[in-house]
Amino acid sequence: MKVQEYVAKRILSKHGLRVPKSIFVTSYSEETEEGLLRLGFPLVLKSQVLVGGRMKAGGVLFAHTLEEAREGVEHLLAKSIKGEIPEGVLVEELIEHDEEWYISLSVDRTLRDILFIFSKSGGVDIEEVSTREPEKVIKTTEITDLPKIVQPTAKTLLEVFLEYDLTLLEINPIGVSNGVLYVLDAVFHVDDNALFRQSWVKKSNEEHFVRLDGDVGVIGCGAGIVMATIDVLKELGFEPANFYDIGGGASREELLKALNTVCSFSNVVVLNIFGGITDTLEVAKGIVEFSKSNPQIRLFVRLSGTHEDEAREYLLENGISCTSDMKHLVEELLNWRSGKVGENRVLQTR
Amino acid sequence: MRTVFSRQDKVCVYGITGRYGSFHTKRMLEYGTNIVCGVSKNVSVREVHGVPVYNSLRNFFEQHGEVSTAIFFVPSQHIFEAFEDALLAGVEKFVIITEHVPIHDTLEMVRAVRRERKVLIGPNCPGVIYPQERLKIGIMPEKYFKPGEFAIISRSGTLMYEMAKILSEGPGLGLCLGLGGDPIVGTNVAEAFEIVKEHGFEKVLIIGEIGGEDEVRGVEHALKIGFRPENIYAFFAGRHAPEGKRMGHAGAIVEGEKGKVWYKERAMIQMGVKVVRLPWELERMVI
Repeated sequence: MKVQEYVAKRILSKHGLRVPKSIFVTSYSEETEEGLLRLGFPLVLKSQVLVGGRMKAGGVLFAHTLEEAREGVEHLLAKSIKGEIPEGVLVEELIEHDEEWYISLSVDRTLRDILFIFSKSGGVDIEEVSTREPEKVIKTTEITDLPKIVQPTAKTLLEVFLEYDLTLLEINPIGVSNGVLYVLDAVFHVDDNALFRQSWVKKSNEEHFVRLDGDVGVIGCGAGIVMATIDVLKELGFEPANFYDIGGGASREELLKALNTVCSFSNVVVLNIFGGITDTLEVAKGIVEFSKSNPQIRLFVRLSGTHEDEAREYLLENGISCTSDMKHLVEELLNWRSGKVGENRVLQTR
Repeated sequence: MRTVFSRQDKVCVYGITGRYGSFHTKRMLEYGTNIVCGVSKNVSVREVHGVPVYNSLRNFFEQHGEVSTAIFFVPSQHIFEAFEDALLAGVEKFVIITEHVPIHDTLEMVRAVRRERKVLIGPNCPGVIYPQERLKIGIMPEKYFKPGEFAIISRSGTLMYEMAKILSEGPGLGLCLGLGGDPIVGTNVAEAFEIVKEHGFEKVLIIGEIGGEDEVRGVEHALKIGFRPENIYAFFAGRHAPEGKRMGHAGAIVEGEKGKVWYKERAMIQMGVKVVRLPWELERMVI
């Protein structure tokens, strides 16, 4: 998950890197005003949001007087950026600089190592520079391949990267003024899986659930099978409403939570459960419980895997039909649709 | 490098006293896996399904000698510690079922197994099954894995079961490797082909998904080491995944063209590999 710029900069400053002097403002007060005067002018005002493209969306302003600063801060506090309400405004001294460089650390999937990307053409989209003028971008796993002047900074960044369990650390730009390097912006992505040892961030669980545009709810256990179910539905002309992975080893409660989430926007829900570590009997219990209190929701159930015979029997006893493979599941859906609109039932790719 | 899996493998289960560890120990034993011991921090339990439990693999090793293989069910917070314990006791093959392992821990583990020329499958994976040898070091429902000629290399768990079920009704299955859905995994597709080759299988089904370019690089490597393109089949999940959204697996996110299903499929077709678009199409294609 992403981290706000002001938090990232505090961490980098603590580790000895130069960041502009700043105050973080969540509401404008007398204290804010004293802070602004202490910083002096001109100032940079930056909306603290996590979405990209903040500059273009008007989330960064400049102020040359106290009056401008007050107006700017109040304006930014009230302004949502691409639908995101800012956590506050970061007010910084303006650092005059001659050059803008780029540096980032990321985890490279192919190399299975930490990759440094450095360029003296910073301040812009690095992917564009990399495509247009690849000779201007250094990509390496070794600090010693970087220019000498940036090596101490890179070393500090690597320490931070490891200590804070980051998956991306990007400084764009580094402002260079008379050979001194300033962190002018900072992007941190923290590993969601390491939050148990990184108590300074809060956990989100966005990865299990993604809302899509359609109307057929989809729940499954395992990301792969849910993605494949969505693909199959799309190929057959259905419009999936969401991606919901209840994960391996899901309990009755977790399934209920999933069903309750999905039924808030969809009256038809497809459950594709192939249990390895998941006990399908637990899932079946969740389905029955849900179905009793939500009889209006049409469920299409496929259950296979651990305890499947008991699970299917339990479902049947409670008047819920289910299939044992994905093809039959899809055929049932097509039957249901043709019953609704009277079209021919043909099982083939669109 | 002892990468060959066989019924001779002596297996240790880390996290054997936990709910999943205990459940799957029973299932693996019933299947025929030679589980010789378990390791757990829960010292009050001495035995699980007849398997002796130790608080470190070293204690077993001192009395009974080496185990070749370890499977891990311990929570992600403790996975690195458990891995080190197994490494010090001389384990050659590591299978990590645990999901949500911090990526920097995985990187450390990958460095260690590369340095010592060992094998790590996972994390966040269904494990390994080898029907001919009655060997299962994993959590897959074994009845869908009938012995036969097809090896499987899969980034997904449940989708592997789905495709295995279809293949079991036809040509059957050989060594099946569930590599895991994380962005960094111990064994990538190229390395998986090496392992499959060592076991003598020529036909391979790859089950891939959006994100990264591991499948394409893996097949390029496979063709270099002697696999024939017409013997490789590929299925990809996530054709309709929205860009930039993470689809469950930490590794399943489209960032750029190369991570997309159409890009991967096109690359496969250019190499002469058969692409399966709907799961049940496979049935027809392999007969």
